[in-house]
Amino acid sequence: MCDHSNKNIYLPFLATVAEVIDETPDVRTLKLVFQDEAVRDSFTFRAGQFAEYSAFGAGESTFCIASSPTRKGHIECCFRSVGRVTEELRRLEVGDSMGVRGPYGNSFPIEEFFGKNLVFVAGGIALPPLRTLIWNCLDWRDKFGDITIVYGARTESDLVYKRELQEWQARGDVRLVKTVDPGGNGPQWDGKVGFVPTILEETAPVAENTIALVCGPPIMIKFTLPVLEKLGFSDEQVYTTLENRMKCGLGKCGRCNVGNVYVCKDGPVFTAKQVKAMPMEF
Amino acid sequence: MQKYISQQNLNILLDKLIAAGKRVVAPRLNAGTLLYEPLTSSGEWAQQAAPLPRRSGKEAFFPLCEDIMSYEKEGQQVTVTDIDPARFPETVLVGVRPCDAAAVPVLDAVFSWDYKDQFFLERRRKTTIIGLACTSGDDACFCTAVGLAPDETKGSDLFLTPVEGGGYACETFSEKGDALVANHQELFAEPNNSKALPLAAPQIEKFDLKKVKAWLDDHFEDPAWDSIATRCVGCGACAFVCPACHCFDIVDEGTEKSGKRRKNWDACGFWKFTHHASGHNPRDQQPKRYRNRIMHKFKYYDDKFGQTLCTGCGRCIRLCPVGIDIAAIVEDISKK
Repeated sequence: MCDHSNKNIYLPFLATVAEVIDETPDVRTLKLVFQDEAVRDSFTFRAGQFAEYSAFGAGESTFCIASSPTRKGHIECCFRSVGRVTEELRRLEVGDSMGVRGPYGNSFPIEEFFGKNLVFVAGGIALPPLRTLIWNCLDWRDKFGDITIVYGARTESDLVYKRELQEWQARGDVRLVKTVDPGGNGPQWDGKVGFVPTILEETAPVAENTIALVCGPPIMIKFTLPVLEKLGFSDEQVYTTLENRMKCGLGKCGRCNVGNVYVCKDGPVFTAKQVKAMPMEF
Repeated sequence: MQKYISQQNLNILLDKLIAAGKRVVAPRLNAGTLLYEPLTSSGEWAQQAAPLPRRSGKEAFFPLCEDIMSYEKEGQQVTVTDIDPARFPETVLVGVRPCDAAAVPVLDAVFSWDYKDQFFLERRRKTTIIGLACTSGDDACFCTAVGLAPDETKGSDLFLTPVEGGGYACETFSEKGDALVANHQELFAEPNNSKALPLAAPQIEKFDLKKVKAWLDDHFEDPAWDSIATRCVGCGACAFVCPACHCFDIVDEGTEKSGKRRKNWDACGFWKFTHHASGHNPRDQQPKRYRNRIMHKFKYYDDKFGQTLCTGCGRCIRLCPVGIDIAAIVEDISKK
């Protein structure tokens, strides 16, 4: 939904907070419903796209749209409270108004994944950009081969979407491998203990006819890419999303570039091949 | 269309435009500083004050700080109010230096590709640019080095060249320029044969911009960057006075109850420009930030829009508190 008319491109849509979910002590999900019925009907997006979320008086923050495009009527965002805007977003309660601009950026080429196996690899707060695609794929389950999700965080408490992890674990058509860093497990922990790249190697997904989707902190990405290579994945089979500080999200304000690549317009979704061709500026 | 206008008639033209309610912006002395500012009468136009206004003319389309919406909160409800573009004034920019006028089409590219920024474009649509050839410059000027000239007409709707015996040879380059002349025909005469006054002399030879870009294409990582920008203190002055820099921030200013969202100039030289909320900063050192400045101007913008993001006005050289000379840097790169 790309509005190229002569309207004010910086004007957000108003949305109401429909639900507040605490994922971890400092990570929160907001379920949002657009106030204008026409917007509610016309707002469409693709998995991987992002938006600018406003807490009026504090400003805007950039996050992915964390819900699946297959789930209509609302969108969700998921964020850690670390700055002025996210602290204000955190103060919002059910029924409060906030703003959303978007959707922006490119998206996962999901149609190209039809008929293939998928391996999702995520760390910590980086599950939301993949969760949109995970649900999109699960809602179209018969279009894909095997689906494997390797997800880890520092501690049990740092895992986001805990209820959904249970749901995925209970499904027969998804293989969920969850892990926490050594020392991050409590007495009830029923998952693995180890860093994501190690657990991915242990899980050993077959590379043939498989797409890997990787999202996580730079250190996790750094150690995950060689593992995928070892498992036989080519750089064209591996997708990730980049994050850089943004303001406009529209290719104007000039700050999210990695070399001559604008994360807001050319991304946020890139193949490992594209990322490896970029200068280290993210 | 080619015409002649005397200085006296040009002043009459400006006064008529002001009387007609147009915003007439020209180099004007404000407490000793030359700035592009709205005139209340033609007599305020300080056209002989040299060499250039302190800041560029881009503020006519891209103000340092502008409202892009306002909000009001009442309980759980928020009302957002748009800005009516009708409030942007009809403007005539007069005595615009060729380096400033030439930057305008460069800015058009970024604000009009893909999503259209109506704040810029609507102001731009309502503005007529009258460029003026430079008969003097200083040793920071380097328009000729980036392929422009003291009589460059790019970006001007109407261009004035001072001639011997007084007055100006005029040439129009757009419908806006034609309309301005047509609406005030009585003030313009047919072109005479007066010779143009000598133009400002080029200060440095033309750079081989293709060579500059070729080096930048391959040298994102290079030890030269450390020596190029070690001195930079990240004050951002270079970006604020630049006619082509256009990076901006979006911020809310107001109270819990009501306020405005604003678009403010920003600068890639500021450490916070790319600083993530997590604390990570992809450009964590000043040389990396200065590298982005050079890369954006002489490579990235060219990659995307086929233009150089520098018109050689030299303002950044005049104003840099630590004496960084972009012309010398680019010249060095062109010789690598």
